[in-house]
Amino acid sequence: MKNAVSGVGLAPDAAMVTFPVNMFMPGSDISAVETRKREFYDGLIKWKSDFVQAGSAKMLSVEGASYEDALTKANNLLLTNLWGDGLPVWPGTKERVDWILQGSVLPRNHVLGKFPPRGGVTTVEICAIALAMAGGRPEYLPVLIAAVEACLVADGFDQLQATSGGPFPAVIVNGPIAKQIRLNSGFGLLGPDPQRPAGASIGRALRMLQQNVGGALPGVGTMAIFGAMRYTNAVFAEDEEGLPPGWQTHAQQRHGYTPGTNSVSVVFASGVTNVRRRGAKKESPEEDALNGMWRMADFMRAPNLAALAGWEKGTPGVMMIAPIVARRMAEIGWTQKSIRDFLWENSRIPMAHMKRAGAPAWIDIDHNPVTRESINLDPWPICQKPDNIVLVVAGGGHPTHSYWLQAHSPTVEGRVIRVPETFERLLTDADRDLGCGDDVCRI
Amino acid sequence: MTTKLEFYDPSGVIEVKVPHAPRLASLEGKRIGFVSNEQWQAYRMLPMLKELLEKDFPGVQVLPIDAFPQGNGLIGNDETAKLVKKSGVDAVIVGNAA
Repeated sequence: MKNAVSGVGLAPDAAMVTFPVNMFMPGSDISAVETRKREFYDGLIKWKSDFVQAGSAKMLSVEGASYEDALTKANNLLLTNLWGDGLPVWPGTKERVDWILQGSVLPRNHVLGKFPPRGGVTTVEICAIALAMAGGRPEYLPVLIAAVEACLVADGFDQLQATSGGPFPAVIVNGPIAKQIRLNSGFGLLGPDPQRPAGASIGRALRMLQQNVGGALPGVGTMAIFGAMRYTNAVFAEDEEGLPPGWQTHAQQRHGYTPGTNSVSVVFASGVTNVRRRGAKKESPEEDALNGMWRMADFMRAPNLAALAGWEKGTPGVMMIAPIVARRMAEIGWTQKSIRDFLWENSRIPMAHMKRAGAPAWIDIDHNPVTRESINLDPWPICQKPDNIVLVVAGGGHPTHSYWLQAHSPTVEGRVIRVPETFERLLTDADRDLGCGDDVCRI
Repeated sequence: MTTKLEFYDPSGVIEVKVPHAPRLASLEGKRIGFVSNEQWQAYRMLPMLKELLEKDFPGVQVLPIDAFPQGNGLIGNDETAKLVKKSGVDAVIVGNAA
């Protein structure tokens, strides 16, 4: 609540009466409203704000017997101020932040917006500080800035930050920059990879901004009950080289960006589900493809009521299929359109199943009249049209699994990534620092 | 010999551009509204509060809890704000957050 009011320009210390959460459950004892009624009355007639306006970003300082001691104290200080994630960070020293800022085409004081719900002013510098803390490098900064820009304009981003469903940004990167900065599109792309470490740092920095600047602190500024994927969010690249002939990149399909454009596309995901797609025993290529498609549709056919937010204009989720699967399916006639059409058609839910799950009540109170109208559809489609489904070719070169990121995503926001003129030098520095290039495997 | 490490506060700054509304001198004879997100037992708590206000402050006028648009998607928009302002209420109570 404090974050919510500060996010709209008010001082954060609003007049509030707070109760334990059990009072907000169906059938609860709400007699405390009467016993504490004076607090409501005082909120209307006596309360006043004690908030003091803060100045510009300040420097913090620690001293230790050695550098290691000082580093430990810096990490402790960040944690005690609720600015860490529990893993070690690089404190954002002036030297490190200045180094990171080499990756920006924008001035360090350029304001990208305000990070909700707290409303922290989001400058390029504060992005560089977050990226420094997250172990990032200057060549990652253009992607982070584009992702932040996309988040800040996303419909309902303040609610996405705060909601109990715990959505997390999934940042899909297209264009040559992905390989240039060592961003993973293959095996293990949603997890750690020492050969392709960019996604972890960028996503962790984005999370730092969400928490430190946006105020999405667990249980305070975000009521995410489980908070999965929130150490690093999900930042990965589409495997453009793995696209079958004639297939378009995600960035082109969803945002109209021409191939070769460096871009991000941000979906707010609320869950990750592995789908065993490949069949077993004797089967034809056609049976393998069709059975796998049915299994994907079966996973999608669920009353994910958080996805109502994107029923008309957003997405119910991201279906990731591995490049070898995409190629084999394309060889027997499947297209991006026919895959989406199949998944949309066969993920529809009989209204009787919706009713037994109490789902129509949520549709009925949705703020979007188009979504409310959908209550008349039987079977009920999980989104308005097949094109809402995000289909991405990514993952390891292996045919067994697909991956479904179910969404709570009112929109899918795209942004072009801008790199500085000195970007080639930054990449050369990265080769020097990190060794082998993007196609070299040391294993 | 100690090592000093200086680094940026990573939280940025907050700009306060809008003051909170001034509080009322009293509730007697005032007109009070509710803006409800229709969640978290608001349908029970807010009517209870309405009854309490009406009992404790003679002459107070408390609007019904559905006098303004309800639901998370509607209560924060400009149209609702205009309706609240137009209604002439002296104060509003917003609920329920959880």
